[in-house]
Amino acid sequence: MNLERYQYSNSNDYHDYEFYSEGPKGRISKMVTFSRIPNSDPAIYNLAFGDLSTVTGELDDSVSSNNQDREIVLATVANTIVEFCNHHGNHYIYAKGSTASRTRLYQMGITSLWEEISIDFEVYGLKDNDWQEFEPNQNNYDAFLVKRR
Amino acid sequence: MSAIVNGSSIKKGFGAGTVSDDVKSHANDPFVLKKVEEATKTLQRVGLPGKKKK
Repeated sequence: MNLERYQYSNSNDYHDYEFYSEGPKGRISKMVTFSRIPNSDPAIYNLAFGDLSTVTGELDDSVSSNNQDREIVLATVANTIVEFCNHHGNHYIYAKGSTASRTRLYQMGITSLWEEISIDFEVYGLKDNDWQEFEPNQNNYDAFLVKRR
Repeated sequence: MSAIVNGSSIKKGFGAGTVSDDVKSHANDPFVLKKVEEATKTLQRVGLPGKKKK
């Protein structure tokens, strides 16, 4: 991918990635965590993404930071998926927002970066309990499944 | 409330991150555990692409 993204740090096991969103609201700590779905075969990983709370130090995606850098943030998350796959293999990665509107935001992000993302990733959207090949602007999906080609 | 500090670090194109002992595991954060539980239930119900559950 040749998109603008944030520099990030990651844990020793390449499961956790931290970076800072930068914009009008200041510099906001963001976290991406990959967790294996228990007993999944083939292995499937859940992608959890959100802000790091200054109160609890924990990941939480209930906050809407509106830092006017959505595409850079999404490109950074995509970059962490590539890095995760480099170290753990090209597994399915499941992602869903904590609310329908946040899942819709993810979809808008994928759509806006589609030309780049579709080169490197297979992307599926969950619609009516069925996985469909992701089509930009076609459906409101309930969740996403991504696999590096 | 999210952490807000000052600085800048935008890069162009794919690049590896920096391994840091300061990046802790969040696998056991309540939000993450909830997301994994929800994902597990969904995937048990719908399966994978091309492998629809009977």
